[in-house]
Amino acid sequence: MPQLVPYFFVNQISFTFFVLVTLIFLFSRYILPYFVYLSLTRYYITTLNS
Amino acid sequence: MASRAATKAAVDFTKIYSTLGLGKETVASLQAFRKRHADAQRIHGQLSQQPTTVDFSHYRSVLKNQAIVDDAEKLLKDFKPTTYDVSAHVKAIDQFEAKAVEKAQATAAQIDVELQSLQATLANIEDARPFEDLTAEDVGKAHPEILETVKTMVKKGKWTIPGYKEKFGDLNVM
Repeated sequence: MPQLVPYFFVNQISFTFFVLVTLIFLFSRYILPYFVYLSLTRYYITTLNS
Repeated sequence: MASRAATKAAVDFTKIYSTLGLGKETVASLQAFRKRHADAQRIHGQLSQQPTTVDFSHYRSVLKNQAIVDDAEKLLKDFKPTTYDVSAHVKAIDQFEAKAVEKAQATAAQIDVELQSLQATLANIEDARPFEDLTAEDVGKAHPEILETVKTMVKKGKWTIPGYKEKFGDLNVM
């Protein structure tokens, strides 16, 4: 039944969506803020040093 | 003056000079004070050894004018040393001593407190890790305002530190 072919991709689509959401969450919550934190700390201790 | 006698016995001047780390002026004035005290003691000893009696019979046999010898004897007999009331001075000295001791104790207590804080600082310095071993987490723990700043920056969508590139350069190829 060829009309059911699109439904074969539901599995892939849902997983892609899940992975994307997870990645966005992890990056925005933990990984990218850590870089800001690292830069700010570096800037801060260098200011202290000078 | 039992307390004063006890103090006198307890004072060890060589120890005071060498161990207390006093200033030059303080040591000099202390030495001057000691010298004054020693001089006074020496003079007192000399004077107390001198005879206090007058041999009038000798003068009577030597001098022709007996009346003047009688006069002198009478004057000597009538002489009474003036007594001074030193209790006020002693009281003032005692008050001064009490005040000085109180002050010294307060200073000692204050110094103890300062010493403790200094030792705490010293221990802190000794226990501290070298700068190379410092992590960003340590800095964040020591200064929580950095974490707060990061939070607000991320909330506002700011992902770069103003002035960071100018200071440390940029590794971006593009």
